[in-house]
Amino acid sequence: MLQDFAFYTWAQFTPAFVLVGIAAALLMVDTFAPRFPKQGLAVISALSAIVTGLFILPGDGGISLTGLAALACIATGAAILLGVDYHKVTCESVCGAGSQEGTGEFYALPLVAAAGIFCLSQARDIVTLFVSLEVLTLSSYVLAGYFRRNRGSVEAGVKYLVLGALSTGLLVFGAAWYFGMTGSFSLSPATLAVGFLSPGRITGILLAYVFLFAGAFFKVGAAPMHGWIPDVYQGAPTPVSIFLGVASKAAGFCVLILLFRPLYSVLSVPEVGSLYTGRVFGFFSIIMAATLLIGNLGAIPQSNVKRLLGYSSIGQAGFILLLFLGIQTFEVPESGVGVEFVPLQHNVFYYLMAYGLATVPAFYAVALVRMSRGSEELSAFRGLAKTNPRLAFLITVCFASLAGVPLTAGFIAKFRSFVALLQGGSCSTLCWLLPIAVICAAAGFYYYFKIIREMYWEKPLESDKPVTVPGISMAVLILCVLALIWFGSKPLFCASPQGLWFGF
Amino acid sequence: MTPLAHYLILSGLLFSIGLAGVLVRRNILVVFMCLEMMLSAANISLVAFSRAQGTEGVPVYDAQVLALFIVAVAAAEVAIGLALIVAMFRSCRSVDSASLNTLKD
Repeated sequence: MLQDFAFYTWAQFTPAFVLVGIAAALLMVDTFAPRFPKQGLAVISALSAIVTGLFILPGDGGISLTGLAALACIATGAAILLGVDYHKVTCESVCGAGSQEGTGEFYALPLVAAAGIFCLSQARDIVTLFVSLEVLTLSSYVLAGYFRRNRGSVEAGVKYLVLGALSTGLLVFGAAWYFGMTGSFSLSPATLAVGFLSPGRITGILLAYVFLFAGAFFKVGAAPMHGWIPDVYQGAPTPVSIFLGVASKAAGFCVLILLFRPLYSVLSVPEVGSLYTGRVFGFFSIIMAATLLIGNLGAIPQSNVKRLLGYSSIGQAGFILLLFLGIQTFEVPESGVGVEFVPLQHNVFYYLMAYGLATVPAFYAVALVRMSRGSEELSAFRGLAKTNPRLAFLITVCFASLAGVPLTAGFIAKFRSFVALLQGGSCSTLCWLLPIAVICAAAGFYYYFKIIREMYWEKPLESDKPVTVPGISMAVLILCVLALIWFGSKPLFCASPQGLWFGF
Repeated sequence: MTPLAHYLILSGLLFSIGLAGVLVRRNILVVFMCLEMMLSAANISLVAFSRAQGTEGVPVYDAQVLALFIVAVAAAEVAIGLALIVAMFRSCRSVDSASLNTLKD
């Protein structure tokens, strides 16, 4: 038992301590210096999240789960940075226009959540996993319902709370059975093998795994635990939607990989694998297909852009899940625990990065249009190409990347999903999963291009003034778009198979 | 001594009642109580397993540590949940889940 916990050192958690420390300091400033401008708090908070994220970003491109945590920290920073420009709306929705009372926590809480995500990426046992996941989740409930004068936000908070607590219940019930069947909480293959190889425990351990996966599926927004996503994305404050869409999703994939890793190792034991490998991957294929279909087909009729992005986030989670099929095909040069997960983690990191780089500016655009035109509907984007040609172009690139147009990072990411599916799927799976994936990718073009159509084909009304774009938002939009094009066109210059898989 | 199975059946029953309550009841406060019941069900399983896995009357304390963490998390969840329900009552004048109807397809 002791060896399991010897994995952890205090130094390993330094970034989490730093984040929580800064959050506590910001709360103190907020309490004892109420005249301090809250936007200043937001800038400090955002910068510290981004700097921490860059600091823990591994140089080799996200090989370990720490890469996902770094991505989550940077996305959190981007979300808080939107809060700076969004401050007026925040004040109106929290305590009425003209007063900035009670808005300070809005900028400190995401840091606590980011610290939770970092601890999650370091977790090697279910207790740490559960506690850090709850640090993240509990902060998210508060953030989702933060705009208390806005009925949509409160409703999003309550819905998220009820469904989130339900998934927590399932997760801890699974954890209890995991412990009962294996005698330890460690997420190591050796522990799990006890459960799989002892006589009479196989049902219990499978039950435990189904419940644990239900908790992970809730976080990533995979079917059948996706129900909260459209409502919460639509109702939550836009900066929080960014946080939930990118950072919280990265955390969900951390949980999924942490749970999947020992399971996959145990499946490589012949007497277990011959019975269960097909069933486990079959179960995963059904989840993937359902997630892809619900996300991509559900997005088609949407008229609210935030809700559309919510459905799109379910659909993109489906494409990330496809990457898990590729796990069986990776050639591993040297053996070791979890080595075969390195390419998978890299792929998931790459996909989430491409998704985040496009989704963050998309939500920024929604917030900018909302501030100028007071609406988050598709029609509010009318004629943006006439009034704000530069902004319209930047938004076009983001949505093109989400759809997967070549020369953007989104294309490379989707390409990797399809490669994983083609290489890893068995013949019978390919027969039905490949058509579904193709249909969903095509559906993506339809609903993402609805926004582009609205901007370029519809005429602006007489009364429409140009959307005002503050400097910080413009800088973030330009940076994200440059990164999307850079990552998307880079394989042109280093087109070896090696470059396509591991190069950036 | 009570066999392990009895505890697990009790825990399973509590969990099912909680889950059924979450799915069926319409009052958010009752739904919330049912959610807490699901967490308590997990706690019963954990403590029972902790005894059963132990040797010579000494339980494996790992599971009890998780049970303590679950109690702490449940308390935090109640604090946040009740605050959100109060905010909901202020804006909707009701704690019925049918009044959560501004966000839908």
